Amino acid sequence: MPGTTLRAPALPDATSTASSTASSTASSALPASPPTPSLRAYAARATPFDELADEHGAVRAPWHAFAARFDALGPGELARRWTEARHLIHDNGVSFNVYGDAKGMERPWPLGPMPVIVGPDEFATVSKGLAQRARLYDALLADIYGPQRLLEENILPAELVLGHPGFLRPCRGVKPSGGRFLHLYAADLVRQSSGAWNVLVDRTQAPSGAGYALENRIIVSRLLPDEFRECHVERLAPYFQQVRRALAALAPHAKDNPRVVLLSPGPYNATYFEQSFLAQYLGYMLVEGADLTVRDGCVYLKTLGGLHRVDVILRRLNDDYCDPLELRADSALGVPGLLQAVRDGNVAVANSLGSGVVQTAALMPFLPGACRALLDEELALPAVETWWCGEPSVLAHVLATLSDMVIKPAFPTGRTEPVFCDELDAAALAELRAKVQALPSAYVAQRRATLSTTPTWDEGRLQPRRLLLRSFLVADPADGAGYRVMPGGLGVVAARDQRHDISIQRGAASLDTWVVADGPVSTLSLLRPAGAPVELSRGGGDLPSRVADNLYWLGRYAERADAMARLARTAVARLPDGAEPANSLVAALRAQARIAAPAEEEGAARDRFGEIGALIFDGETQGTLADTLRSVYRVARAIRDRLSSDTWRVITALDQEMRDAETWSGAVSTTGAVSALLDRTVALLAGLSGLVMDSMSRGHGWRFLDMGRRLERAVSLTLTIAATLTSAQPSETLVLESLLEAADSAITYRRRYLASLHAAAVLDLLLTDPTNPRSVVFQLGALLEHVVKLPHLPGRARDGIESAIAQGADTLLSRLEEVSVQRLAEVDADARRPALVAMMTELERELPALSDALTESYLNHATQARQLARLQRREEAR
Amino acid sequence: MIHHVVHVTEYLYSERVSTSHHDLHLLPRATPEQRCLGEELEIAPAPATRRDRTDDFGNRCTYVEIHEPHNNLRVTSRADVEVAPPAPLPATSAPWESVRDVVRSGDGAEARAARAFAFSSPYVPASTWAAAREYALPSFAAGRPVVEAARALTTRLHADFAYDSRATTLATPVDEVLRLRRGVCQDFAHVQIACLRALGVPARYVSGYLVTQPPPGKPRLVGADASHAWLAVFVPDHGWLPLDPTNDVVPGEQHLTVAWGRDYSDVTPVRGVIMGGGRHDLWVSVDVLPSPRH
Repeated sequence: MPGTTLRAPALPDATSTASSTASSTASSALPASPPTPSLRAYAARATPFDELADEHGAVRAPWHAFAARFDALGPGELARRWTEARHLIHDNGVSFNVYGDAKGMERPWPLGPMPVIVGPDEFATVSKGLAQRARLYDALLADIYGPQRLLEENILPAELVLGHPGFLRPCRGVKPSGGRFLHLYAADLVRQSSGAWNVLVDRTQAPSGAGYALENRIIVSRLLPDEFRECHVERLAPYFQQVRRALAALAPHAKDNPRVVLLSPGPYNATYFEQSFLAQYLGYMLVEGADLTVRDGCVYLKTLGGLHRVDVILRRLNDDYCDPLELRADSALGVPGLLQAVRDGNVAVANSLGSGVVQTAALMPFLPGACRALLDEELALPAVETWWCGEPSVLAHVLATLSDMVIKPAFPTGRTEPVFCDELDAAALAELRAKVQALPSAYVAQRRATLSTTPTWDEGRLQPRRLLLRSFLVADPADGAGYRVMPGGLGVVAARDQRHDISIQRGAASLDTWVVADGPVSTLSLLRPAGAPVELSRGGGDLPSRVADNLYWLGRYAERADAMARLARTAVARLPDGAEPANSLVAALRAQARIAAPAEEEGAARDRFGEIGALIFDGETQGTLADTLRSVYRVARAIRDRLSSDTWRVITALDQEMRDAETWSGAVSTTGAVSALLDRTVALLAGLSGLVMDSMSRGHGWRFLDMGRRLERAVSLTLTIAATLTSAQPSETLVLESLLEAADSAITYRRRYLASLHAAAVLDLLLTDPTNPRSVVFQLGALLEHVVKLPHLPGRARDGIESAIAQGADTLLSRLEEVSVQRLAEVDADARRPALVAMMTELERELPALSDALTESYLNHATQARQLARLQRREEAR
Repeated sequence: MIHHVVHVTEYLYSERVSTSHHDLHLLPRATPEQRCLGEELEIAPAPATRRDRTDDFGNRCTYVEIHEPHNNLRVTSRADVEVAPPAPLPATSAPWESVRDVVRSGDGAEARAARAFAFSSPYVPASTWAAAREYALPSFAAGRPVVEAARALTTRLHADFAYDSRATTLATPVDEVLRLRRGVCQDFAHVQIACLRALGVPARYVSGYLVTQPPPGKPRLVGADASHAWLAVFVPDHGWLPLDPTNDVVPGEQHLTVAWGRDYSDVTPVRGVIMGGGRHDLWVSVDVLPSPRH
């Protein structure tokens, strides 16, 4: 087996696109007759340093119970269950984002079905070493941001701290709440040929992956329920309980019920799924920088009902981005004044601002000395062999053995990839050598290591893959300066063909990690029972304005998509009827899409099916159904932590339908195929609206979503009627019929008027009938009910804005209640309906105005924080 | 000599600003040559919150929150500053290589403290050092005393670079300034800092004011004085020697220090993040007068 070194999984850091992985699609074909996978057989032919097999080809003790049960699974059984599990990953939307991939950058989370198993003794030993490393990094940070004793005593090279862009000078001297700097820590471990575990990467900034480890556990424990139960696997829930305790304990002024928020960089971050999943699981509000504001040195959450004090911030935003005032000026993601709030002792941030300075491999060679100086202990868990090139003697050694090295930046900024020197040709190696020689202190070298393998299950066969294990630690306030280790972790295995790098961004897969106990384990769970409704608002006004805004637009886009799908479906079905009603319906569809009709060529035959197809499938054009559904997905994703898993499943399915259709446009080239697709879309949208009605609590969140829906439905109806009925058509019966069908009111009409179709009756049903849930009047009534219950805006006159919006809705409502539908239906000499035109024009003007008033007063997030020009040019008088 | 400084910074916004946060480095610090006899900071509209502190370099800075809607912000700092005549340049100084070596080895508390100004910083990143080193080397012959070499470099810079307020912006990197050979005082200070650090000699950025003399027979114009920037180089057993490459002088009683740091980013006089505001214009005026009180 060739010597191999692994890349860290680098979840949020790696640049390149992920290659497809075994688990990337739920529907990939399985071999016709999979052979019975046997772990015993795997052990017998195992390569050296395998996690499961010892050097004699026997199964190691911690794996015994698992191997026996696993081998007893019938042929094909694992394959069947694995197919189910992959559906689960897909349906739950477990995903990560790939950087540098503009289109559809969200990818399904790659997970393999086989767990990695770690025995109790080994776990205890590694845990001790990890906890010591965490204590060491905490002490290091306290020293770097305090007395700098290690620099004074020349134990650390000064450049590694003072020349590190991650050393945030404004944070020096700031005492973190509770005294601790490092609350969460993660380490990427590899087992080398000696059999010992070593650290490859330390993560002190904002470690990611614990949520994915939990998600892996949920899926694998369902996949292998008996094995999981019988093997006495340590549960993960107590670890997360500890996270909650540790963060609650950080709250300044020892509050009983502190408000903890998870600060996210937003939906485009690589691990956004994990952030929303963790926020939901831990019961924290997921916020972005723009949701927070600093007032009088305290941090507040901006909500519909006013400002709410925040006590603890769990940040997934890199520290330098956290405060554009004192830290990175170009950060649009942070909270101006946050550092001052920390300095004032009014908020705790985990990990403390500045903790990123020690997240560099360049420190590794100096940790043994730092450990003796700060903790008076020997370092128990060493890193893989590492050299910082800033030391002249080291540089010569590194350059002499460069081809055995992996080169990393000493001061990592952004997404930087390690360079595997053995993969370079002579020219590239020479180029790298020159770069290192020119600025040695910017580089770190790590020796390529030979890593252990672990069995993975790949298309019916057990295969050895190089393993990296990310462990997670959290501060334990009950144990002085101590830390607790998650009994488990995120296993990551190299992509196929023995690649050197293990990076999820580059196609590696993750594994569940089982720490097995000798006896029964505690079975605590923090998870909600599956399918339980998710509370969208806690009744009060603590809904962040950004969330309300996204809910409002979710309502609008979903309703718009529904109207378009119904219109398109009707139009397709009516194509054989000739020019009308198809032309009117296509015009209505265009109106919904806000797309102008192309200039008509005299006498040219219209390809109506082609026009409809473009309005449905053209994802590149703004306003089409495909584009609208993408908007549904985009706004839903931004508030994903507030949507139930059932709701999310529907949203994913909607997105998938249209993606599939776009990809296989050949397959939807017949009217039958298009109708079937639109049927499914309409059904899914109805499912979405049903879930919203059934499972959302009636707080402000629901109210904003429903207001969006009502307003959009009123707009849709207006646009449709304006496009189809303002001119009387010779064959109007067909137009009326299809209009009723598209507005889902055909049955009501038939019950009332039997078969005879009259424009006035149709207008009554669609415009002015207060009992038809698809009439404009009904939408306005519902809107009015919502508006009067909106929270009063802080700092504004009571009854000010709210009543202005209510008045607008009320005026429109009375206009419609007073109008005579007979008059609206009257046709003049030019076959136009002037009264209807006037009415529709008024609605087309007033409805958007209503929406603007609503969003401007409640949801306006457009006032982005901006940096003042720092143009202090010295106009030198000489 | 005692000076009275009035420094007004005004931002005019095209749209209303609802909330703003600011970080100010405007109050002059104490230095071995300088005392601040009295000062005030006037901010309009009145801040809802103000906190004064000393930063990690010993500079005075002020954090301010304004929550009142406003269309312009006016920050006025006034201070009486007493500056001592400069100490004569040390007649002899160590060879520049020995300065580099003592800093590298961290030998002695003074040298260790100087390391804060020895490495890469936002406006003087290590990536620009190769070009700076090449430019500097002719002044740094082997064994040349550090004071002599650094002073000679200041003179060369002054001769080689044209003062041109339109050639560069804050975003112009140091190596670009080196290529253009033009810029303003900030640029010249950053360039010489890059040159010195590239050779292993610590250098720091100094932000302050320059007292200007009116042309003979003309009255002094209000607002004609300027905020200014220069640098200081670390000289073991002497301290920090200030150098002004814009004017090719060793700063003395005409240079008032406000703050120092690794570069401009550490001592930006007015930083701010605003909500709203639209476009904004900036207006600055500085007056340094003989102190009325003394």
